[in-house]
Amino acid sequence: MIKTTNLTKKYGDFTALDNLNVEIKEGEILCLLGANGAGKSTTINLLLNFIAPTSGNAYINGLDVVKNPKKTKPYLTYIPENLMLYPTLTAIENLDYFLGIGGKSFSKAELKTFLEEAGLQQEAFNKRVQFFSKGMRQKVGIALAIAKGAKVLLLDEPTSGLDPKSSNEFGELLKRMKNAKVAILMATHDIFRAKEIGTHIGIMKQGVLKHYFRNDEITLQNLEKVYLETMTLNNTAV
Amino acid sequence: MFRYNFKYELKSLLRSRWLLLLSLLLLIVVLFAGYNGKEKVKERTQELKNVVLESNTNDAAMALVLDSIESGLQVSVNPRRMPNAPMNVAYNYPRVAAIPVAPLTFISTGQSDLFTHFIKPSAYGDSFSLDYSELANPIQLLFGSFDLSFVIIYILPLIIIAFSYNILSEEKEYGSLKLLASQPISIYQWIVQKTALRFFWLTLITLAVITITLLFFGFDFKTNFSAFLQLISLVCAYILFWFTIVLLVNLVVNNSAKNAVSLLAIWVFVILIIPAVVGQLANSFYPIPSRTKMITEVRELKEELSSKQDKILDNFLRDHPEYASKDGNSNYSFWHKYIASQELVEEELKPLISSYEDQLTKQQNWVRLWQYSSPAILMQQSFNNLAHTSTTHYQSYRNQVALFSKEWRNFFKPMLYGNKNFTTNDYKKLPSFTYEPPINSSVLLKVVVLLIFSVIFIFIGKQVFVKKIKKGTIIS
Amino acid sequence: MIRYIVKKEIKEIFRDGRFKISALIVFVLAVVAFFVTFKQYKNTAAQYNEAKANERKVWESQGAKNPHSAAHYGNYVFKPKSPLSLIDQGVDKYTGISVFLEAHNRNEAAFSDAADQTALSRFGALTPDFILLYIIPLIIILIGYNIFSKEIEGSTFFILKSQGVVGWKLFIGKWLAALIPTLVIATVLFVVAAVALTSLNDFGLFEWKEILALYFVYVLYYLIFTNVVLFISSKVKKSGIALVINLVFWVLACFVAPKVASNLADAKYPYPSHQEFNEQIANESKQGLDGHNPWNEESQKLREQTLKEYKVDSVHKLPFNFNAFLMQKSEEYQAQVYAKHYGLLKEKAKKQGGVYKSLSTISPFLPTRFLSMAIANTDYESHWAFTEAAEEYRVGVQRFLNGTTEKNAKYNERYVAPADTWSKLEEFNYESPTFSEVYRQNTSVFSVLIIWFVFTAALLFFTNKKY
Repeated sequence: MIKTTNLTKKYGDFTALDNLNVEIKEGEILCLLGANGAGKSTTINLLLNFIAPTSGNAYINGLDVVKNPKKTKPYLTYIPENLMLYPTLTAIENLDYFLGIGGKSFSKAELKTFLEEAGLQQEAFNKRVQFFSKGMRQKVGIALAIAKGAKVLLLDEPTSGLDPKSSNEFGELLKRMKNAKVAILMATHDIFRAKEIGTHIGIMKQGVLKHYFRNDEITLQNLEKVYLETMTLNNTAV
Repeated sequence: MFRYNFKYELKSLLRSRWLLLLSLLLLIVVLFAGYNGKEKVKERTQELKNVVLESNTNDAAMALVLDSIESGLQVSVNPRRMPNAPMNVAYNYPRVAAIPVAPLTFISTGQSDLFTHFIKPSAYGDSFSLDYSELANPIQLLFGSFDLSFVIIYILPLIIIAFSYNILSEEKEYGSLKLLASQPISIYQWIVQKTALRFFWLTLITLAVITITLLFFGFDFKTNFSAFLQLISLVCAYILFWFTIVLLVNLVVNNSAKNAVSLLAIWVFVILIIPAVVGQLANSFYPIPSRTKMITEVRELKEELSSKQDKILDNFLRDHPEYASKDGNSNYSFWHKYIASQELVEEELKPLISSYEDQLTKQQNWVRLWQYSSPAILMQQSFNNLAHTSTTHYQSYRNQVALFSKEWRNFFKPMLYGNKNFTTNDYKKLPSFTYEPPINSSVLLKVVVLLIFSVIFIFIGKQVFVKKIKKGTIIS
Repeated sequence: MIRYIVKKEIKEIFRDGRFKISALIVFVLAVVAFFVTFKQYKNTAAQYNEAKANERKVWESQGAKNPHSAAHYGNYVFKPKSPLSLIDQGVDKYTGISVFLEAHNRNEAAFSDAADQTALSRFGALTPDFILLYIIPLIIILIGYNIFSKEIEGSTFFILKSQGVVGWKLFIGKWLAALIPTLVIATVLFVVAAVALTSLNDFGLFEWKEILALYFVYVLYYLIFTNVVLFISSKVKKSGIALVINLVFWVLACFVAPKVASNLADAKYPYPSHQEFNEQIANESKQGLDGHNPWNEESQKLREQTLKEYKVDSVHKLPFNFNAFLMQKSEEYQAQVYAKHYGLLKEKAKKQGGVYKSLSTISPFLPTRFLSMAIANTDYESHWAFTEAAEEYRVGVQRFLNGTTEKNAKYNERYVAPADTWSKLEEFNYESPTFSEVYRQNTSVFSVLIIWFVFTAALLFFTNKKY
């Protein structure tokens, strides 16, 4: 579903992403760990075609994102770190708008079921989004993915700033999405959550993917140890 | 996409109370401006009415006296006002030469506060130095009037800027742009649609408000529909111009505070600096010759001629043998001499006098050429033309009055030199003045120029967008 | 502590590209405006001197002539340009520059520049007063609109707070920092103007007092603007919105308020039209003495009265020329009629002035505008002063001319005065109101400006005491 081959992004002399090769299949969750500036968000922005790669390719559902900017979008849903919706519109209206401009229209009842599936409480459906917490806004984002039937979910630090309960809820939601055969890429700082929900885990540093594990290959303790080692070591070779 | 944009843009606008606030603000401002204009027009119309009425009353009285004289009755009239002497009529019963109010005069004060709107040129006096200045408080002239043209040229762009300076940058700063960009849409198309929708609503409100104001102040749509169309097409094109500027700045700068500063700088340049510079250049390239010099030259010439009046009359009669008295009676009055020398004075001063008008015409042509450098100049020129209050209108009026003044004198000349009496029959043939407005350049051209500006901005905007998308700086 | 705050703010301002660019633009505009005005001024001054000298020559070389003919021949007086018109042209563009003085008629000053220019001149001109009044306040807005909100948006405010910054010191620091760039620009402009003024020798009476007063007025104006801008910045937490509100204030104060004031003043105390005004005077003049018509009722009355007074039975026996006496009396009557109507007009002008003054409370632009024009002697008052001086001179000229006939000729005799008569007439010498007169006339406007400053400063201080 998601695939990158030798994906590289340079800003002048600075290499934000260096030869990334990953593949995420249906029903897989790749959690990318790494410090700020490690290249996690760059990867997501490249997959979204927000920025153009210096070299290499990114594919969504087998389509090159640079060559098919509009064709790849129906397959994916993106939830930025701080998902912002239109404050004066309600949850339903926001959902309707974002789906509508993309050419998908649904009845009100259908929109409600999407929000319900995403776990938003009933009372919030018709409330203006300006009063929503981050967790609630993210649920609207997930509802968007459900409604689109998105096969790809790109998440940028979704759990930062969430309280543990909301964070847990969000994890459960992602697991459900995974079971529904969605390929998920999630950039995060949260080692615990990554181990908890990821089918695969990557550790990035200075634009390079340093480690790549299957979830069952490593324990939480080892993962933390590897992470800290990677961060403190000064070597650039893998 | 369009349907959803339309629906939710409207919803957002309504919920943020922008539309309501905007409509109310515009309505109040435009009504107040219309009221100011209408008051001025009312005053002017009323005054003209009084003057015409007075002139008609005088005429009627004169006709009555003429009638009595012709039927051989005794009349008791001051000999200086006896209407059977042609020059008495020429001097005491001038026609009213007025520049009438046009249906759209109230939208733009233009030059109307500087000049008088009617004048009574009599046989005495220089047709070139009639005083057209209006009695006005110069402070008022300095500050100008709060009229519709001010609201549209100055205020409307500011409303557009305040309304939409962050149309794209807000979404970027707020974060909703990222979610939008992850949808299968073209962000460029989306922002153009959004801008177009705001343009649509603002134009709709503005046109509604203008129409209400025109209705309110008794504008006759039926007979002046073309003027109305010209007005609204100009307004629409002007609004479009500013919206495309806003769009362009949003694409190029894309930071709310910087957008606002840039847009304001553009406003200052388009509305304050460019017109001032073009005007200043017109004055420096085609300076009006010194008026103080004219004063002395005119007086010197007149003094010179007045000492030779008898000789001038002789020459005049030699040139116009038809005016010389047939019976050899050479008892010439003041008027005989005056008309003869006045003709000479005007002939001699023609080049000097026309040098002023020529320079003004050249300035006008300069402005006409450079009006395309700023839509504000374009709009001011067009509004003044629609309102019949432009420099050209008043200049043409002055020229027409000068011609009429000559016509008036010439009408009496044969009677004066032929020693004929003024009769009821002559009264009926008295020339009268009708103002012919000058032909305006086409509003269509100006609208097209504004549209071209807009298209260019949209084109540049697209290029900038494509470039920025490549660099990835539009969204994050 | 204040020193650190000021230093940091000034650094930020000067490193900001927006300030650099706009300061550069203002500088270029100011140079152009100054240059253009300077050239124009020299031109006008030269024209004035030439016309004035020429006019006197023409008058004196009339040759032998009847004095009343000379009165009809008339003379022109010209309005001198005031030195400070280099900084503020005021209403000069809209008032005539010369008055034709003749027998029987009081003429308006004719030939205003505005009437000889295209409608473009109504947009305003690129002059120093335009920069001082409109553009510099914009710079203040540009500097100050986010001076508080940027600390909140950048979260540096909390660090400042945690460092134990004293609210009012932070406040004063920011206020000073916002003010310094403006003061630098304004001071440079005024120094350049003063140097230019002193370098011109044909500049009449240029006083340092005046230019200092002008400078003071503008500084006060900028202080008020700084207060308002900082007040808005401290109350509105978002930079973009603060900027928009500031701009709205600028437009309201500098563009809308003057226009609204002018409309209100005109609606409340409308001027008569030129024709109407002239007609009223003509009608009233007709009822009195007519020097050219000895058979008119009033003339007969005067004749009888004079005969009685001198105890003679015929005008021939009077010790002076009765024609000239009659002419002078009628002249005096007409002058009185004019004085009355112009008095009424002036009354109206004053009432309109009252409307402007009362609206000064809603816009600091208005009092500044009026004070600036007044100090530069380019306001409506100085125009009145000039036309009134001209009228006074006209009446004097008529008295001189009629007096000459009265003394030197007999009744019904056509008197021709010798050629040297004309040079005996005193020259017209107009002196514009002195600074202390201007100051006295404008104390109320000045106090409005002071009140604006005190009020905005207090508002700023009390709302931000605990910042």
